[in-house]
Amino acid sequence: MTTSTSLLSKTFAVKGGTPAFPSMQRLGQHYFPDWARYETAFRDIFARQYYTNHGPLAQRLEARAASYLGVRHAMCITNEAIALCLAAQALSLQGKVLVPAIAGMQLAQSLQWAGCEPVYCDIDLHTGMMDAQAARARLAAGDIVAILAADLFGSLADHAGLQAVADEFGLPLYFDACAAFGSTSGGRSRAGDGRLQVFSMQSSHVLSAGEGAFIVTDDDQLAAHVRNIRSNYGMGQVIVPVVKTSNGRFSEAQAAVALASFDDLDAHIARNQQLRQDYVAALSGLAGIEVLAPAGVDRSNGQSLMLRVDAAKFGLSGRQLIALLQAENVQAEPQVNAGFYRHDSRFGTSALPVADAWHDSLVELPLGSKTDGATVATIAALLAAAHAQAAGLATVLGAGR
Amino acid sequence: MGIKTNVSDLGLAGGPRIFDQIKSVSNLVKPDVEKFLGYSRMFHDAEVYTGHGEVEKLMERRLAEFHGAAHCVSFCGGFWGLVMAMKCLALPGKTEVVMPSLTYRRLADIVAWAGLTPHFCEVDPELLCITGETARPCINENTALILGVHPIVNCCDIDGLEALSAETGIPLLIDAVESVYEAYKGRKIGSCANAECFSMQSSKLFNAFEGGYVTTNDGELAGRLRIMRDSGLGPDGLPAEQVGLGVVQNEMHAAMALACLDDVDEQMQANRARYRAYQRCLADIPGISLRQFDESQRCGYKNILAELDEDWPLTREATIAILNAENMLCRPYYFPSLHMKKTGYPMIWGDLSQTEELAKRFLLLPCGYFVSEQDIEKIAELLAFIQKNAAAIKEKGLV
Repeated sequence: MTTSTSLLSKTFAVKGGTPAFPSMQRLGQHYFPDWARYETAFRDIFARQYYTNHGPLAQRLEARAASYLGVRHAMCITNEAIALCLAAQALSLQGKVLVPAIAGMQLAQSLQWAGCEPVYCDIDLHTGMMDAQAARARLAAGDIVAILAADLFGSLADHAGLQAVADEFGLPLYFDACAAFGSTSGGRSRAGDGRLQVFSMQSSHVLSAGEGAFIVTDDDQLAAHVRNIRSNYGMGQVIVPVVKTSNGRFSEAQAAVALASFDDLDAHIARNQQLRQDYVAALSGLAGIEVLAPAGVDRSNGQSLMLRVDAAKFGLSGRQLIALLQAENVQAEPQVNAGFYRHDSRFGTSALPVADAWHDSLVELPLGSKTDGATVATIAALLAAAHAQAAGLATVLGAGR
Repeated sequence: MGIKTNVSDLGLAGGPRIFDQIKSVSNLVKPDVEKFLGYSRMFHDAEVYTGHGEVEKLMERRLAEFHGAAHCVSFCGGFWGLVMAMKCLALPGKTEVVMPSLTYRRLADIVAWAGLTPHFCEVDPELLCITGETARPCINENTALILGVHPIVNCCDIDGLEALSAETGIPLLIDAVESVYEAYKGRKIGSCANAECFSMQSSKLFNAFEGGYVTTNDGELAGRLRIMRDSGLGPDGLPAEQVGLGVVQNEMHAAMALACLDDVDEQMQANRARYRAYQRCLADIPGISLRQFDESQRCGYKNILAELDEDWPLTREATIAILNAENMLCRPYYFPSLHMKKTGYPMIWGDLSQTEELAKRFLLLPCGYFVSEQDIEKIAELLAFIQKNAAAIKEKGLV
């Protein structure tokens, strides 16, 4: 490929060269209805004059999400962080809750706002998600009241293994499934697993409301509790005592965008899978670079493209590669690393060896509405050049963050 | 002929309802759709839909300007804006928030989410709000914060509360959700106290679908609020000491807020015309009186609050039941007061008999975008009918 040949001897931006891209290539999906659809949907909302709080579009979205995921209840919530706070409150959690060491920061934060304390658990060496055996070991040590696991990277965590551990100790298990919408195992969604699951519809996810989330569960009583905390609209006849309400209302604006996104979902997933194939082909044979394969699924939503970097073989660490790409205007810092326990001075550093290794080696690459085959080719060529020039770059880059 | 000639014509007796469409006590203003689409075009072209795009940034600047405050920090809702402002302002190591009990039904929950304990004070019987005088007896060695709340009509005692705050060194936060447009002794609401909090849920003066914001003149506080709201990430992209949560406003909601801001003076005029109609129509009905706006100050006329006097012939609950049956979603004013509600967290209060008495007397009447002057004439006519026919209504066992 001509691009890659010309880039091999490129002067990287960290050494004073011109960035490969004139503007930042963003992580995340960022699909949005085109202007004509947006305008039509919003003129309808203005004509109806129903703006928020379990309106007709939100109800349609809830029904559609529940049907798509094969669950009894889907409840739209303002955003993922608030949905996680509501979830902890609806489950009446008090005490220490086990969370994976690598996950969105909102997991640990939601627990702190809900008056609980997050305890970090090590992850599976191959999938990067919560390890059932590590969870079991921590639960055996006592004083944990619940498990909050996460499905990451378009993959599904070891739901069966985690449920077995939760059952063994008689504790509730629930999921942040923010990155798993549309991913299936055994030909079906796993959204009914655990007591409840939280899905994100933030712009970076494959199903987008611009901003938003929903909680799903098969448990009628729990669903009533969530609705009652969210606001007192649409909660049906069951009134459940609530310790304290929150406001998780979801607007018709959010619902309109999500419904349009739903219409395009299959096309987005297909495009993600095509771009993944492009990346895999372009990066094949590059020493020290592994494109993370979706785990635990027969179909992934394909919304994330994750790399594991073997520093010894590639010549640069994952942290160094992120810094290098950032200077080329390529976002590459995985969002899940921001929630990593080592940033959190309240918890100090404990020995979570697999999580440590993943944190240092994990790199994410753009795979969204603005990414095309040419972008993939350029990024792959940058990686090849980085490998070729690794020795010289390592000294410039230092250890990386 | 009036709208009702006989008590059997009442909706409660199975008669036809006066209104086909629900008349609520919420503002529900509809901004200009073209203006909304114009602001939407900005973020649509920029392809940024949430996480502080240019529309949300413009909204923060415009709101700060509107309130005459140095800073505006936006949130996805007023609820979390209040929680985070409390968290930032509460004195470290202290636990209690001095606040009224005769107020917004979720306000104690908000205090609980901030990890603090409500300590309820009385309200002034004339102003219906917390004052420096009513707050003072609740101040003790555990007080972390004074939470002033503007009542639905007019403003709370900012001078008294600011003086108490200055004297005790306890920060003052104001829930200003109901007083977006108002001024207090010439000062714009939003520029007072340590900070003021607002909601932009669709029932409020600014209908942003959903949303909220905090205004302050304290740059350091604004910076802390931004970090806390942006998932607790500092400028370096790493988690800060203080626990945060991702509660940012999205671009669609920000576009809606801007469209409302553009039209706010026209909205105030329309609400003032509704208020004038109520003044005119309720003047001659015995036993019910309108809560008057203090027109020596700038006011927004957003809600209509009425008081049932001792000679009103029915209970408030019976009156509301009759109105509800005509498709008027009238509501009692802040009832039950917060200390009367069962919650799953601790609360502190002493003698609140004045609050309990006041909580029985007021009701909110239909207002806002869906209510015309003709509607108000019908509402007044019905109230007059109820007043005249109370005995027959009771006799028929309707209430």
